Amino acid sequence: MHATASNAATGADRADESARTAKDSRNDLLFGWALKACALLVLLALVGAAASTLWLGMDAFHTFGWGFLTSAAWDPSNDQYGALVPVMGTIGTALIALVVAVPISFGIALFLTEIAPQWLRGPVASAIELLAGIPSIIYGMWGLFIFAPFVAAHIKPWLMNQFSADPPDGKVSWLVQHVPGLARFFSSEYPFFGAGVLTAGLVLAVMIIPFISSVMREVFQTVPTRLKESAYALGSSTWEVVWDIVVPYTRTAVIGGVFLGLGRALGETMAVAFVLGNTFKFSWSMLETGSSIASTIANQFGEAQGLQRSALMALAFLLFVVTFIVLLIARLMLRRLATKEGR
Amino acid sequence: MTKMNEVASQPGFGTSPHAAAADLGQVPAKMTVRDLNFYYGDFHALKHIAMDVPEKKVTAIIGPSGCGKSTLLRIFNRIYAIYPNLRAEGEIVLDGENILDPKYSLNRLRSKVGMVFQKPVPFPMTIFENVAYGIRHHEKLNRSQMDERVEQALRGAALWDEVKDKLKQSALGLSGGQQQRLCIARGIALKPEVLLLDEPTSALDPIATSRIEQLVEELKKDFTIVIVTHNMQQAARCSDMTAFMYMGELIEFDRTEKIFTKPDKKQTEDYITGRFG
Amino acid sequence: MSTSLYTTRRVKNILAMAFSILATAIGLFFLVWILWETLSQGLAGLKPQLFTKITAYREEGGLANAMVGSLILNVLGILIATPIGVAAGTWLAEYSRRSRLGPTIRFLNDILLSAPSIVLGLFVYTIVVLPSKYLTNGDVTFSGLAGGIALALIALPVIVRTTDEMLRLVPGTLREAALSLGVPQWKLTMQILVRSARSGIVTGVLLALARISGETAPLLFTAFGNNFMTFNPLDKMPSLPQIIYEYTKDPSPDINTLAWAGAFVLTMFVLALSLIARFAFSRSKVSHD
Repeated sequence: MHATASNAATGADRADESARTAKDSRNDLLFGWALKACALLVLLALVGAAASTLWLGMDAFHTFGWGFLTSAAWDPSNDQYGALVPVMGTIGTALIALVVAVPISFGIALFLTEIAPQWLRGPVASAIELLAGIPSIIYGMWGLFIFAPFVAAHIKPWLMNQFSADPPDGKVSWLVQHVPGLARFFSSEYPFFGAGVLTAGLVLAVMIIPFISSVMREVFQTVPTRLKESAYALGSSTWEVVWDIVVPYTRTAVIGGVFLGLGRALGETMAVAFVLGNTFKFSWSMLETGSSIASTIANQFGEAQGLQRSALMALAFLLFVVTFIVLLIARLMLRRLATKEGR
Repeated sequence: MTKMNEVASQPGFGTSPHAAAADLGQVPAKMTVRDLNFYYGDFHALKHIAMDVPEKKVTAIIGPSGCGKSTLLRIFNRIYAIYPNLRAEGEIVLDGENILDPKYSLNRLRSKVGMVFQKPVPFPMTIFENVAYGIRHHEKLNRSQMDERVEQALRGAALWDEVKDKLKQSALGLSGGQQQRLCIARGIALKPEVLLLDEPTSALDPIATSRIEQLVEELKKDFTIVIVTHNMQQAARCSDMTAFMYMGELIEFDRTEKIFTKPDKKQTEDYITGRFG
Repeated sequence: MSTSLYTTRRVKNILAMAFSILATAIGLFFLVWILWETLSQGLAGLKPQLFTKITAYREEGGLANAMVGSLILNVLGILIATPIGVAAGTWLAEYSRRSRLGPTIRFLNDILLSAPSIVLGLFVYTIVVLPSKYLTNGDVTFSGLAGGIALALIALPVIVRTTDEMLRLVPGTLREAALSLGVPQWKLTMQILVRSARSGIVTGVLLALARISGETAPLLFTAFGNNFMTFNPLDKMPSLPQIIYEYTKDPSPDINTLAWAGAFVLTMFVLALSLIARFAFSRSKVSHD
């Protein structure tokens, strides 16, 4: 057998074995480096995206300084560029989206983890996830052709009747008369026009609901059953278990999920490009048209030259930095849950 | 080759190795462990282990869970080295050479020392490829030589008759016991000298277990076997020597018969009789 | 006293349940609404010439060049992203244990996963489209290749993440078993680990494909678009989402109808892909244990 042969192993055999081991470890090292180089590309993509937009946006930052952030003038004919309107539009639409999407997502997650009968959970969860699979351009089309007219016909007149100083039905409401400043959030130059910040925010809300609700659902499922069972055993109702046990237990990660949705909403282009109106007049009203960073880039970059192109790059840089920070916070909060689970 | 009495004459060692030597009548030691210490980071997991593993015998390592028995086994082929922060100090001499020496070639070590794990882990390939895979890395064989080697290994693991007609099928379709014997075949296909078995039957049913035990009995004609088990009956049934470990120390190492009938140490006796652990 | 407390608690509970059911109903309502519109409006525009004629004929044409372009762009994106993504994911799962860089890259990959795709498109514009003027006679040339690279950047984090996760599901004993045969780590990784995680990795690639198939923003300034049929990746290349984008903005209702038809085709394709991916995944889960 081999045993006796190798007891009398010749020097040549042994040299061969060492040579093979050396070759193996050299190959291992090369292989490891090749893989690592690929992994570093991930890093490179992020750094590169930030660096390239900053580099090409430098011109605009130099020309306008801090004024780039505070000026509401976006006027290609006079080569004047200020980011205020797109920035406010981006933040405004994203906030509206969150305000609408977070409670609905919470409700869906609650339904899928605590309320729905077992047989219903799988199909409903899949259906909601299907919503996440629909391409954003489809949301944009639906928003433009279907939803914006719906807003113009039903949502906007109702809101203006309640909250604007210039309601279509002519009767200024009690609220508007007694809450100063309220009306300016609901004014509209073209009352019968469906596009606007609110419409875009609502389309974004529909888009991010599946993201937030699936994070919340996953997070809720990490709550140990015995914890919930002991609360139920004390006679708690479903709602009390959720509010007193599940939510406190998962708070950080739930907020992480919300930030993840926010990151998505901030960077979304196609869903809002059609329904925002793409105007650059500053307004506080959510019923007014506006623009967002991403939609401005999508609409103008193709023909932009010189300073305008640089201003658009500068906008892209701002967007990238802000979403990076939002997503960073989201991931940090979600990661804490992962470590908690691991324990 | 190191003889047991040579080790025993060295200072600073436990009493067990000599006693064993006397009883087994000068069986040569295949592997000699000298003052072995092992650390998981700062945790001192194995303390001053010294033992002689006799050639072509079955040596069982028993002890309560967490005593370090698996850890010890995993040092015998340096598989621990794939994890960070693990460190072994001391010597394990195999055929006169210290395998813990970084200069000792890993290919050489792993072709001389085979290992079978707790759960059967067939590779996601055909039955034939599972056995041939390791051989290919060490030797260049032509087709008929390879066929022969695979058959030999499968026969050695008492699996040939059950799989000879489905060598091209995925190994994942075999039963748990068959998968474990396939893993043994894979291990012995490299013609190692030492075979390490890490609780090889803990995931198997009683019938598959007894087949593996019979196989161990067969295999010791050709191999030096070290088996870690938490099942004391198994150690008693199929081993020649038994080491009892507790809290990272080798408490007693002797002929199996003696360990199970008349152990020297009270801790051993307590464990054997089920008073703790 | 205690009866009224009990009533309050019960009412609260019922309200919460009602809200939750309502929220789910709203979510499903929008899903059905969007799918219904895509289906009904899209079917109205669905005709054979959609698949045979190109966009240059406008109302009289179809979307054939856009579909072919999308196919080429997606294939390019997947071909670029898959080897890199699988390699990077493998490094994260198998090699980064001893390095602090591993967790950092895993973390940043998750951020890249939801980074704004339009900025990634601008990045590729900067590093691929702009430099192309040094190769041509000073013309900036958009190209299918640039589009493919932009899509690859979006597919990359999806593939990295699934590869990483799938490999980490492979039991550690499989690694030990192979290493204890003396097999070197690179062989173990390529021949055993990646193979046993294969179906999971395929799932990741399918999910990435579904994701990039619907992407519009990163293509606007890379592949740019083209009203003619082209198979040349160095040429400007049209894609289904980009044509839908253009056709949606178009004032002509006939063109809008074509956009809907394109939207229908695109949505069906993407949803079918994600269903297939899910099916593949449910199978891969079984084979792991």
